[in-house]
Amino acid sequence: MSTVNGGWELPISEGELSRMTRDLDQAHREYLPSMYAAANDLSEQLRDSDALAQAQAQAQAQAQEERQRVASRRRFLVGAGGAAAALALAACSSSKSTKAAAAPGSTTGAASSGSSGSSGTTPSTSTSSSGASVYTGDLKVVALATALENQAVGAYTAALAAAKAGKLGTVPPAVGTFASTAMSQHADHAKAWNAVLTGANVPAITGVPLSNQPATLSALGAVTDVGGVAKLALQLEDQAAQTYLFAVANVTSPGGIATAASIAPVEAMHAAILNFVIGQYPVPDDFLSTTMAASPTLLTV
Amino acid sequence: MMAEELIDTRLLEELTEQSQDLNSDAVRITREALAEYAQGEPEPRRRRWRRGSVLAGAAGGAVLLGAARAAAAGPSDDIMALQTAASIENLAVTVYTTAAGLPFIKGGNATVAAFIAKTTTQHTAHAQAFNAAATQAGGKAQTAANPKYAAVVQQMLPSIKTPADVVKLAITLEDVAAETYTANVSQVSTPALRKLFGSVAPVEAQHRATLLAVQALLAGGAPQLITIPTDAAKLPSAAGSVGFPDSFYPTKNASPISEGAVK
Repeated sequence: MSTVNGGWELPISEGELSRMTRDLDQAHREYLPSMYAAANDLSEQLRDSDALAQAQAQAQAQAQEERQRVASRRRFLVGAGGAAAALALAACSSSKSTKAAAAPGSTTGAASSGSSGSSGTTPSTSTSSSGASVYTGDLKVVALATALENQAVGAYTAALAAAKAGKLGTVPPAVGTFASTAMSQHADHAKAWNAVLTGANVPAITGVPLSNQPATLSALGAVTDVGGVAKLALQLEDQAAQTYLFAVANVTSPGGIATAASIAPVEAMHAAILNFVIGQYPVPDDFLSTTMAASPTLLTV
Repeated sequence: MMAEELIDTRLLEELTEQSQDLNSDAVRITREALAEYAQGEPEPRRRRWRRGSVLAGAAGGAVLLGAARAAAAGPSDDIMALQTAASIENLAVTVYTTAAGLPFIKGGNATVAAFIAKTTTQHTAHAQAFNAAATQAGGKAQTAANPKYAAVVQQMLPSIKTPADVVKLAITLEDVAAETYTANVSQVSTPALRKLFGSVAPVEAQHRATLLAVQALLAGGAPQLITIPTDAAKLPSAAGSVGFPDSFYPTKNASPISEGAVK
């Protein structure tokens, strides 16, 4: 079937072309975040070779120093004729090490219960055998970012479901479009961050392991109109944008910095449109602040 | 039902253009990564890194994201980036100030006029912040407009006849600013400068988002909805998404750090 439209002769039906265009767009959206993160990662891995080599050398030097210290201590103890004392000291050191490793695990356990099933990432896959979180250093911020993105996706999903069920009254078409588009972009962000996590051999975060998630769900459940949902969404968008600003100044990975820098403006744009829709000035601040940034301590895994 | 749909060729062209943009971004990123790979270390060092990553991971280090590493940029690059940023802000201030005086803006939509006034003060604040950082780093303040985009503006000025023309020009400038600062975050050498650029880029992006929505309402023949508070119920569906077309803010049009540096 040929269709002439706008001067173009189309050898396929319009419906088919529309479907193909949508599929192509969807394919791009699904694939590019992972590729973006993976390519950044590759560059970064290569750039960081020297830093890693130095870190390894430093670690080896520290290990050597520790061996020398232990040997020196043993020599002292043996020299003093205190073999039994040496064993006792070794036992004490071992005990201290065990306690130090166990402490984060106990915290994780308590905090995980705080997420009360809202997390799709089980603590057993996100903690090491000693119970410590596997998300440390920059990866903790990445994990936080992923959880925040998942939280936003969940909130918009719930809001759209509530709207469909008629629980929010009349929903303006622009608000529905906003929610579904913003949700899709947050999902893209989560995919990009999860690609970073899995690339670092730590589990992806598929749920919302945040201690504030129960309160967020509760607030979401309490809203009865579009304005209420929009205000809650605005808080999440502001929090996300500001968390990324915190991240650009506090993470050390070039790839992490670049990714956070490319997402913060998008969250801020969501906030601008939300502000406009709820009747507020869309660009209220001269500079983005970090007063509403989420703390990595919110993370429960 | 699908076969009865009429294709909006303008939308199709936009989608195709977006698709091409996405592709070119992906290709650029991949090429950059592969180029770095090709210029990278010899094989034994890469292998050593891979072994090292496991060890470092076991040690709880920031494996994937690397240990603390100074950015490639130095103070002179920082100063140039700050001066270029100030040059973009200076141009934006000039353009918005000029626009505010145009009869169809001064006597037109009050919300647009208020937006222009507020945005002018925000760009002024950004210019001051960038120049303060430049002088603090030992450089000179940039008081001139960005030469590349000043020429573009000069070229476009005669054709600016309506609010829509002003909005279109402003979108271009805001996007250049946002893209440049987004890129700068990765180019400067200190956390404080990353934070400065990172705190301004989202504000320029918000200006762009607002302008994109305004542009859509003007194009859709609904200028009466450009008001605060607006009548959300009457906003066209597209107004909800037109303001944020990308999941990741692009940097392909970012200005190089030397573009607006003081000579």
